[in-house]
Amino acid sequence: MIDQLLREASGRQRRATGVAILLAVLAAISGVGLLAVSGWFLTGAAMAGAAGVAAVRGFNYLTPSAAIRAFAVVRTLGRYGERLFSHRAAFFALADVRPALFARLAAARPESVFSRPPGEVATQLGSDVDALEDAVVRRVTWPGALAGGVTALVACLFAGPWSAAALAIGLTAMRLVSRTLAPRLIAVPVRRRADALTRLKSAYAEYAACAVEITAYGLVPQIVEAMAPDVEELEASRLAVVNAEALTQGLQLVLAALTVACVLALAKGGAALAAAAALAGAAGAEAWSGLTRTDLQRPRVDDAMARLEGMASLPARAPHQADTDRLATQSLTLAGEGISCVLEPGGRVLIAGASGAGKSRILGTILGLRADAPQRVLVGDIEVRDLGLETLRRLFGSAPQDAALLAGTVADNLRLARQGVTEAQMWEALEVACLADTVRNLPHGLDQWLGADGARLSGGQRKRLSLARALLSGRPWLVLDEPTEGLDSVTERRVAENLEAWLERTGTGLILVSHREGLHALAGYVFSL
Amino acid sequence: MSFSQVLPTDSAPDAPLGRRKSGAAALWWLSDTGGAILFAACLALLLGTWASGPPWSETAIVLLAGIVASGILRAGAQGMAGISGQREAIGVKRALRTRLIGALLPSGLVRGRLAGEDLHVAVDDVEAYEGLMARFGPLKLAAVLSPLLIAVAVTFASWVCALIMMATLLPFGIAMAFAGLAGKAEAERQLQALSRLSGLFVDRVATLPVTLSFGAEDRVTRQIGEAAREVATRTMQVLRIAFLSSAVLEFFAALCVALVAVYCGFSLLGLLPFPAPEELTLGRAFFALALAPEFYLGMRRMAAAYHDKQQGEAACASIEAALSQAESRPRATPEHSNVPVCSLAVDHLQVAYADNRIGPFCANWQAPGLHAVAGATGVGKSSLLHALIGMTPEMSGTVALNGEAVTPASLVHLVGWAGQRPLLLPGTLADNLMLGTSPDADLGSLIEACGLAELVRLRGLDLAIDPRGSGLSGGERRRIGLVRAIASDRPILLLDEPTADLDGESAGRVIQLIAEVARDRLVIAATHDPDLVARSASVVRLA
Repeated sequence: MIDQLLREASGRQRRATGVAILLAVLAAISGVGLLAVSGWFLTGAAMAGAAGVAAVRGFNYLTPSAAIRAFAVVRTLGRYGERLFSHRAAFFALADVRPALFARLAAARPESVFSRPPGEVATQLGSDVDALEDAVVRRVTWPGALAGGVTALVACLFAGPWSAAALAIGLTAMRLVSRTLAPRLIAVPVRRRADALTRLKSAYAEYAACAVEITAYGLVPQIVEAMAPDVEELEASRLAVVNAEALTQGLQLVLAALTVACVLALAKGGAALAAAAALAGAAGAEAWSGLTRTDLQRPRVDDAMARLEGMASLPARAPHQADTDRLATQSLTLAGEGISCVLEPGGRVLIAGASGAGKSRILGTILGLRADAPQRVLVGDIEVRDLGLETLRRLFGSAPQDAALLAGTVADNLRLARQGVTEAQMWEALEVACLADTVRNLPHGLDQWLGADGARLSGGQRKRLSLARALLSGRPWLVLDEPTEGLDSVTERRVAENLEAWLERTGTGLILVSHREGLHALAGYVFSL
Repeated sequence: MSFSQVLPTDSAPDAPLGRRKSGAAALWWLSDTGGAILFAACLALLLGTWASGPPWSETAIVLLAGIVASGILRAGAQGMAGISGQREAIGVKRALRTRLIGALLPSGLVRGRLAGEDLHVAVDDVEAYEGLMARFGPLKLAAVLSPLLIAVAVTFASWVCALIMMATLLPFGIAMAFAGLAGKAEAERQLQALSRLSGLFVDRVATLPVTLSFGAEDRVTRQIGEAAREVATRTMQVLRIAFLSSAVLEFFAALCVALVAVYCGFSLLGLLPFPAPEELTLGRAFFALALAPEFYLGMRRMAAAYHDKQQGEAACASIEAALSQAESRPRATPEHSNVPVCSLAVDHLQVAYADNRIGPFCANWQAPGLHAVAGATGVGKSSLLHALIGMTPEMSGTVALNGEAVTPASLVHLVGWAGQRPLLLPGTLADNLMLGTSPDADLGSLIEACGLAELVRLRGLDLAIDPRGSGLSGGERRRIGLVRAIASDRPILLLDEPTADLDGESAGRVIQLIAEVARDRLVIAATHDPDLVARSASVVRLA
């Protein structure tokens, strides 16, 4: 699944990738060529110089010296362009993968998404997708390395087939060793390190919640000691990764030197061709060993792919089927142990219960975001769990307990409610929520940037913005979870009066959770958990 | 103590690198240059003998062996450079992490930071700092020294070639300075925009439930796509300039090879347009040519590690900021530890968090005695307890001990604390019960009174505890915190919901125990348990 996403995304970058490959090939050819021709030219020049004036006259120095200059320029430009285009292809491909993954997440069954911690999902969209960069750049690395190797082979052929055979065997051996050794050496420590990092973070989070005890009893040394095993494991596994890299890359260097020695030992046709073969072999092997970096990255890429696969292949939720217009005219039934409550359209209910009794759970179930409430909730005679999120969200507009504001402007947040919200409607909703004056006094009004989770607003203001958003959604039922938490009683009373009038005017039903008595008069029924 | 005293830094503000400590790794990088010199020497000698005589001799075999040896030397040197750089970094990271944990963990509440932010500094930033010490530092040192080493080696064969190499450094330096300046300005311009945009992903995932319930996922997905493409565009703008500097580097590296090759070639042919400044042989010329690509290799390696530098410096700045914020806070000194506690009072105590204010609270608690703080969930009972000992961000109003105003933080050592989720450290149950007291205290009667005797009988005092709970119930965990607080023998006990998560019988025992303890100590309990409130000498009701 993720393979396919990545393939499609990098397919759209075909042109940039093509240019990058072309430039990588040119750069590799001229890199090897530069050294081979220089070596040949130098040795040939020395031999001609030693053989006398006639030999010097006969020696063609114009072509090789021009070739040296040309190779130098092409190598420079080629490497610059290769980097530019391969990174462009990778970054823009990954920029397409992120929204595609997000879309899958958003289309999945909600309970399968929200069972994961949001931090983990965000990490995957961020750093795990970043880790795929190497998988995209690899498409360019390979042809470049191959071109370097082939050019070196051609140069060696001038010094005889044995020399070329030695290089071919050497390069193959380098590849085989790297391919088999790198994943074996590095996969385990990479995973150990990731695990240690996770354990360390969760331990830190755990201890951070106990700051008072740590301070009161002076327990910092004990905490440091308690975290030491994970810290040591983190460092040990990191060192193991470095050791594995050193071993893998070191073997490449040894094999490369051995290959050059063999190329030289088997070279025929004079010192000049031998010099060219040796330098070309060295440069080709160096370009070739660049592939080892890819081998070393592979376990990380594979791990990231495996995690993203889990995200890309989440089960999709059921499509919208029911007739929303008809459902909007049906009654709503809440039924728990020994208590039930039937609301006609426009009816209002207060869901009451101690903290921990499951108020948020039943609201989440009504909204279709979860399915674990023990009570039954029916629209008409259909259980909400059978209707699913796609239908329920056309029936219920909600203001959740945590306000859940987007990092964006006031207007961004209000526009989320539905498509085509006008500015006049926004102000009207803000008036009902008693937030219009506050927004008017913000430096940029509706276009004020609020920061992550509305950080610029107070807790009570966030709640009211979330309330205004729910009002704008225009759904037949309003679901409010502690809408006046953090408000003073005067503002609370105004909000209650405005809501009463708004509900009356629009004929919207209300499902309310609030421990503040100021709002209890809004509801005609009480449903106790 | 300032940050720079723990890090092995020099005083340069923009380059807090472990210069002294990058020595070993840098030496290994220089040994790698030594390997390159060995390779060039063997190759040059081999071709020199080959051009002038019969190709095969014992010398030739020795020289071929030398080439292989140079490969082994370089492999070892490069590997050891990475390993010793990592070893040095591990030492610094360990010290830094210990210091960060000590500074950040106890003060997170006071600084009003989210646990996640501190965690990022103490774990992720320290990891990001590693590359600067382990890789960039040594490579930077080697990048300065290795060209000089190469030039010296080349001088022995051809001083003109060495001069050519050194001469390319001047225009190279000028070009790099220009590219670097442009890059720095551009990077700074983009950095803020980038961090805002990457924060968007985190935000939109966190707010996915509300996006889904309004059916707005198509619009949000489009927005994420636009933002992702903008991140890509901006990243490319920064990279274009970074790549330009490396292109400059590449250009001079290629130029260096080309100039050496052309000079040597024409010199060997006797076709130089000026009088030959030196007598050149094939061997000498080839030695210079083979070392020409190595001249810029150190700098190319350093440029490749530039990302480590950027990441490391950003992490360093964030670590410094967190440490200076945490360590500038007044320390809790045990100044009142010998004073008998007669009363504790708060007057107009108000706590300001980033998004709301709690209070003002007024109360006067007489010691000894049991006092309750009551009120609905979320009105700030816990905040009041935290504020009493200065564990909240900003506060106003006064706290008075025995009628005298005191700094709340100074009361910390008078207080035994039993919170909502007591600390559990890896070790035995007994270790955990005695965290606040001397290890030889006898807790038998306290365990019995608390109703933990059953747990001890079933699983033993040496039950292994892990910080995530080891299968202890919420109620058991709470009572471990309570035993710990009582056993600490502190004159003031602050208890946050001591009877929550407990069944009626256990709650009854705990209330009885608390009432007994309150006969000779000051006990303040935040609670909404009516039975506990009923046994209290006073009740502060928060609303």
